[in-house]
Amino acid sequence: MQRINVDVVLGLVVLACALVAVVIWIPNDTGSGIVESVRGRYSIGDALAPTVAFAILGLAGAALLIESRRKKPTGQLSSRNLAFIGFMLLIYLAAILVMRWTGPALASIAAEGSYRELRDTLPWKYLGYVAGGTLMVSVMVSLVERQFTGKALLIGVLASLLMAMFYDLPFDDLLLPPNGDV
Amino acid sequence: MDYVLLGIQAVFNGPPMFSILGVGVPAALVMLFLGLLTGIAVGATPGLAGPMAMAVSLPILISIFGVRPEALLPVFGFLIGIMKGATVGGAVPAILFNTPGTPDAFMTTLDGYPMTRRGMPMRALKVAHISSVSGDTVSDIVLFVCAPFLAVLVERFLDLPEKTSLIILSLSFIAAVMGSSVGKGLISISLGMIAALVATGEEFHPRLTLGVDEISRGFPLVAAVLGVLILGEIFKSFEDLWRGPAVEVDTIEPEHRDKDGLMRGDIRRIAPHIARSSAIGTVIGALPGVGSTLAATLGYTFGASAHRRRKTSEQKDFGEGAPEGIAATEAANSAVSGANLIPVLSLGIPGNAAAVFLILAADSIGGFNPGPAVFNFTRPAVNPELVVAFGIFTLMAVGNFLNWTIGGVFMRSMGIMARVPIRYLLPVVLLVTMTAIYVQETSFVSLWIAFGFGILGYLFRRLDISVLPFVIAFILTGSLERTARQAFSASGGDPLFLFQSWTSITFLALAVVSVAVLGRRDGPGASKKARVEKS
Repeated sequence: MQRINVDVVLGLVVLACALVAVVIWIPNDTGSGIVESVRGRYSIGDALAPTVAFAILGLAGAALLIESRRKKPTGQLSSRNLAFIGFMLLIYLAAILVMRWTGPALASIAAEGSYRELRDTLPWKYLGYVAGGTLMVSVMVSLVERQFTGKALLIGVLASLLMAMFYDLPFDDLLLPPNGDV
Repeated sequence: MDYVLLGIQAVFNGPPMFSILGVGVPAALVMLFLGLLTGIAVGATPGLAGPMAMAVSLPILISIFGVRPEALLPVFGFLIGIMKGATVGGAVPAILFNTPGTPDAFMTTLDGYPMTRRGMPMRALKVAHISSVSGDTVSDIVLFVCAPFLAVLVERFLDLPEKTSLIILSLSFIAAVMGSSVGKGLISISLGMIAALVATGEEFHPRLTLGVDEISRGFPLVAAVLGVLILGEIFKSFEDLWRGPAVEVDTIEPEHRDKDGLMRGDIRRIAPHIARSSAIGTVIGALPGVGSTLAATLGYTFGASAHRRRKTSEQKDFGEGAPEGIAATEAANSAVSGANLIPVLSLGIPGNAAAVFLILAADSIGGFNPGPAVFNFTRPAVNPELVVAFGIFTLMAVGNFLNWTIGGVFMRSMGIMARVPIRYLLPVVLLVTMTAIYVQETSFVSLWIAFGFGILGYLFRRLDISVLPFVIAFILTGSLERTARQAFSASGGDPLFLFQSWTSITFLALAVVSVAVLGRRDGPGASKKARVEKS
């Protein structure tokens, strides 16, 4: 059997992470130790549970290393998968930026008040959400269809608009993105 | 008995949603009905699943009904309706288009689709419906009987150390049986624990935050759970769709038959398979973390073995379009759903994704904390949580009645859902999930946290690590740490506080045994693959 496979790498990585966390991270990022003594009474400190959790993680890594000696790996993670995640991150980031800034940017150009004053009025309260949602949906549909089409754009616009109306029209107290942040 | 009546009254005399001829229609029943229809439609749509619908609808439900005790039963009604509907709906595309609507309906394709090809789609759908609802009903009855009994036993006989050990046993068992290996199960459990421990604790310093202010109050439950369960699945499915060949729904026209529907003797033929698979599904469902896919596989395997011995020469074999094959699968996978609530209601330990969303709803609304304390039959004071519990049982019983009566008709009209292209659905579901998270948390930070957990969920799926142990550990870690702290203090700081009673020692020994013994075997996923390949 191949000596280095994805399960061996995963086992080594989690084992190393567990060691670093128990030795460095937990002691420096918790407010109390494993067990605390206050006026003679002992109580469990904030560090115990994380130490146990990371110990289990280390155990899991060791178990995976042992298992990998007799079993073929069942998962796969390639550079193409990581590239895909990078790509999704870009789409998500772009959609959130458009959601966050479309309304305020247009308000600064076309309106007298600030976006904060307008965010509960039409069409301002939908602008960012529909723009960002359309971008995300239409780009993802276009990726799968391997071409950008009017249909993808239409699906994006309709989905975002319907979703905005679905959440906003019946419920006064729900805030669509970005209206809870501005 | 008083509480049973109070539970029924809470449902039928609850706040009305609207009036018909001056008679108020209770909101809980209306929501149950709507949830059931939604669940059947979602189950019938490949690529969607009950938990996705539950995730998306939860913030809307909370917005409609608010966070007050009266909201509990209508919200639970809708979620229970989805849970029940999705188990029935999953068989529709499996039978009509050879595409399982839900993962546990895979085995249904083996006999359902050949029946459709032979011109008997309605017969196959009716067999699936009867079997599915029968399994669900049997499982619910076991839940109604066992959950209160188990909870009373737990409250009477288990003290803090034993409860701590019981949670450890549950987590160990889930790590051992879910996924492809015990090492990966433990990775999932430990990462769930670590995520739950961030910024919690009793000291002023928010632990494990690395000084990041945005997470100084911990990871929001909704963002974390939806990220791992829903976004991770969307990312993986989307990549498969993007890179893989286009998979179209099979549109080959079946043979035409003038008369299609249940035939004389069908019920008698499938009844033993329904009974056997219902028992298998109920037992599997009562164990936290062991999913409906394993139940369906076992039900099918045992059913095939029995069928080989007893079938007549004119009856089809399993895999060639035998109604018994559909019955064996559907009864087993549906029998899981009711029994899955036994550990939630009696111990507070969620056993599947649907149970996770019931806990999320209870956590968001307040006034109901699933666990053994719910079944405290206090007198003369009335325990409102117990009334809610029996209200849930009432809703489940009414849900079964609706499933028996109108569920079949609605299910058979849902074939159209399998033709909705998944390449359009996935991006829309991503947007809907993001919106659902935002309207509940009203912060972009929660969207980024959800995305981070979505990446984790994606990596888990690529590395063949089960995500459900992560979610269950994320939910249980708070109570595990709290109970352990209390037990330690109560023991006067005894470091061996978990080894003071034989019950606790037994639980801990079982935890070690489950990891050591069950970990040596291939996980349910692996065994399922092996069996599917064989069949």
